[in-house]
Amino acid sequence: MSAYFETASGDLASEALRSFADVHGELVSAPPGFGFLTARDTSETRVVGLLSGGGSGHEPLHCGYVGRGMLDAAVPGRVFASPHNRQVYEASLAVARPEGVLHLVKNYTGDRINFGIAAERLAHQGIPCARVLVDDDLASDAADIAAGRRGTGGTVLVEKILGAAADTGMGLAELQNLGERLVTRCRSLAIATSAHTSPATGKPAFTLDTGQLEYGVGIHGERASSTTPHRPLPDLVERMTTELLGALPADTPVISLVNGLGATTLLELYAAHGQLAHQLRDAGVPLARSLVGNYITSLDMHGFSITLMAVDPQALRLYDAPVHTPALRW
Amino acid sequence: MTEPASSAQFTYGWMRRFAEAAHRGEPLLTALDQEVGDGDFGANLTAGVDAARARWDRLPDPGSDPSAPLLATAEAFLDEVGGTSGPLFGLLLQSLAAAIAERGLTTAALAEGFAGGLDSIQRVGDARPGDKTLVDALAPATDVLRSTAPSTPAADALAIAAESAWDGVAATARLRARMGRSSYLGGRTEGIPDPGAVGVALLLSCAQAGSPDLGTRLDAVRATG
Repeated sequence: MSAYFETASGDLASEALRSFADVHGELVSAPPGFGFLTARDTSETRVVGLLSGGGSGHEPLHCGYVGRGMLDAAVPGRVFASPHNRQVYEASLAVARPEGVLHLVKNYTGDRINFGIAAERLAHQGIPCARVLVDDDLASDAADIAAGRRGTGGTVLVEKILGAAADTGMGLAELQNLGERLVTRCRSLAIATSAHTSPATGKPAFTLDTGQLEYGVGIHGERASSTTPHRPLPDLVERMTTELLGALPADTPVISLVNGLGATTLLELYAAHGQLAHQLRDAGVPLARSLVGNYITSLDMHGFSITLMAVDPQALRLYDAPVHTPALRW
Repeated sequence: MTEPASSAQFTYGWMRRFAEAAHRGEPLLTALDQEVGDGDFGANLTAGVDAARARWDRLPDPGSDPSAPLLATAEAFLDEVGGTSGPLFGLLLQSLAAAIAERGLTTAALAEGFAGGLDSIQRVGDARPGDKTLVDALAPATDVLRSTAPSTPAADALAIAAESAWDGVAATARLRARMGRSSYLGGRTEGIPDPGAVGVALLLSCAQAGSPDLGTRLDAVRATG
């Protein structure tokens, strides 16, 4: 028996997505074939279409961020699996503007390859396409990890800010440039006290002994390089904050995202944010804006991530610009 | 401009022989990929050629355009095959079809098409020669096509390129994987040729009627490895 509620088709991701498109029908639409979602209402001033995508299991990422002021399209794969290049290609054709389309890609081999194949196909059709690779996960920042840092929580902030930038009429190269600059100034760390339940086996993706936690965990059940003793929240957040700040430019205001990984209570997340704000105050780092909640999850993992992005006035202005999507609105 | 019917017949024959060779070779390709990868390469290749066959049947005027069967095969591999190597074959064929559509079936068009395909594949996968991937068969074949006199008949140029691709396959057997799924196996892939490289060499060989079958080729690779 599966640990998850089973649908008649056995394909939870597709059924949830179809329903998602219905429920949020005023914001998004799902073209026939249902390989992607597009925004119904986007700014007329955009000259570049913004598209992101990746495996399902991280909801509300990415479909929740399709709409005014953010993504023009999202392309979901199966749970934890890259979408097919055809989905990315067709979604790109659907949302390309006069200056083409920008792909926001989390740094995973499968996503890089499938978005890359789609980009080659677009080039073949004469449609300009550029990419911003999001690789903000500090835990995978090691010389012996050839694939490089993973893309995690920073993706949400990059999608928000680039969406607002695209609405100002910014061109393809300039948007790509801004995106790359945002990524270099953004780092994340995640910890978990228990793994997600594997949909295939119904068992936890990994098990931890009592009193242990995984420090530096990925969003697909990738284990951290080390398992450490479970410590009180202030100690954990202090360590995370110190490490994140060490990887960012000094004396710069930050936007923070305290993000639940799927099975973490809001009580825990707000308490973690409280500690983060305290740590930042002690470090003399201005906390410009904060998000707390479930923005990029890992099925039912019990844990949270902290993302910090160092921002200049332009990035902050773009972050503050209005947004109206199923999962983010102000 | 209408090409002579013989050019279109040539590319059709080439793709048809590739489809047949993929089916005949599937057990060997699967066995090979089970040793160094996840075992789906043979199935992906046959899925691609089957999807291509369905598209060839829908082409409006199969007799006049030598790029048409290549483009139909390219789109079948790009649209309908999962995994990585199938769509990469699609990119190679897409580039080849574009060059032949523009310049006709000439050795210069083949050189341009293979070079464009190699560039695309390397941009997508970051693989360099020596990484034990299909690039190790594609890069030497492309070099040969570039250095062959443009006046050489296209079929002859493809025959020389095929031999160079098989040499590249033999070289992959001596390499340790650094990319893709085989990279997790480290030294255990030594002695085994890369299935994707085998696929590229098989594609090139199929330009000639009556070329040796896959089993004979792989025996030769193992004998030299």
